[in-house]
Amino acid sequence: MATITCREFLNYLEPWMEGERPPDAQAHVRTCLHCSGVIKDLEMIQSEARSWSAAERDAPERVWTSLRAQLEREGLIRETIPASEGRAHGVTKDAALRAGWFAGLFPRLPRPVLAGAYLAALVAVAFALSGPVNKRVNEARWLKGTQISTSPLSAQLNFAEQDSNSYVSRSNPVVAASLHQNLAIVDNYIALCEKSVTEEPQNEVARDYLYEAYQQKADLLTQMTERGENVQ
Amino acid sequence: MPEAEAIRLAQQGDAAAFERLYRLHNRRVYSLCLRMVGNTAEAEDLTQEAFLQLFRKIATFRGESAFSTWLHRLAVNVVLMKLRKKSGNESSLEELTEPDEDSGGPRRDFGGPDLRLSGSIDRVNLQRAVEQLPPGYKSVFVLHDVQGYEHNEIAEIMACSIGNSKSQLHKARMRLRELLHEALRAQAREDRKAASAETGGKD
Repeated sequence: MATITCREFLNYLEPWMEGERPPDAQAHVRTCLHCSGVIKDLEMIQSEARSWSAAERDAPERVWTSLRAQLEREGLIRETIPASEGRAHGVTKDAALRAGWFAGLFPRLPRPVLAGAYLAALVAVAFALSGPVNKRVNEARWLKGTQISTSPLSAQLNFAEQDSNSYVSRSNPVVAASLHQNLAIVDNYIALCEKSVTEEPQNEVARDYLYEAYQQKADLLTQMTERGENVQ
Repeated sequence: MPEAEAIRLAQQGDAAAFERLYRLHNRRVYSLCLRMVGNTAEAEDLTQEAFLQLFRKIATFRGESAFSTWLHRLAVNVVLMKLRKKSGNESSLEELTEPDEDSGGPRRDFGGPDLRLSGSIDRVNLQRAVEQLPPGYKSVFVLHDVQGYEHNEIAEIMACSIGNSKSQLHKARMRLRELLHEALRAQAREDRKAASAETGGKD
């Protein structure tokens, strides 16, 4: 069989990655370390990218809160669903208003919700002061601040977690188990992110992930306190 | 509430239906935005903007394409618009790839040092490389390799041909490979420099 050159194989590479494997291209790949290496590289990129989809998560609750407020301002939505039907969908006007960080800032809400929102806001503000928002102009401070600021934050999140646990223990056991399971996932995620930031304190992407991980935990603790409070 | 029912009610302005549609699709849209811009705050803004556009236009949705495809098309356009504004020009989607490659076929710098990426790809360095891709490549790469869309769906989302989608994806992967190799070489240089400093430059 006539073999092809590396340059000729280049024209086969795109269809190859789509699964087309003509015999002459296969023969070339079997004998050419360079081209088989290129294929391996591309397959590794593909495989790593695929693994990202497992880490997909919902947008933070504040996105919906803000979007809903905008839809109301524009007069695009109206409340028509009877309360009973709304509850069946797991959606009530009150729930929508209470969801998210900023809902907790309304004075009519009870203490646990305020505590959760306060915590979330604390994480956001602490990171805004020392973190990604102004990191470009204040790199040295961030590098120092990462080590300093995350420990108290971590401690406060742990403290809030104890508080939330006491509330969530009063809710439905199935819901409580699910919340605890989610919390364990977020804690693992935080541990991984903290490890990355410790290893590479100047890595902006790692810092963004850590920031996000803390936000997720704060969001989750807010939900836990709300759930617990709702069954009181 | 099934999606079709939620769409029908949302077209009448029903708040719960809007929320249902948001809950069904926000994860994929947010992930797409996050991978495209690599920044959570911007990704949140873009997610909100994409859904806002969706809800403003939902009365015109007639079901010619899948609802998720329609939403993704809106989201991709919102992100590309943002990236265009950032880069300060109003170029077309085609121009958001690397023009020399588009006109000249596949890149010919196929050779080069035989470094292997084996073991050196992780989420952080791949994300860093993805951020350096031209927006057109980035969109197709994220839609196909990360989110698992097929080329025919991407063609619909991006308003391009299936062949174009395949070609953009291949170029994106090849460009990523180059970027990862560059990063690997830079790291090797740094390591050598550090080792040399440790031995006091005796080597």
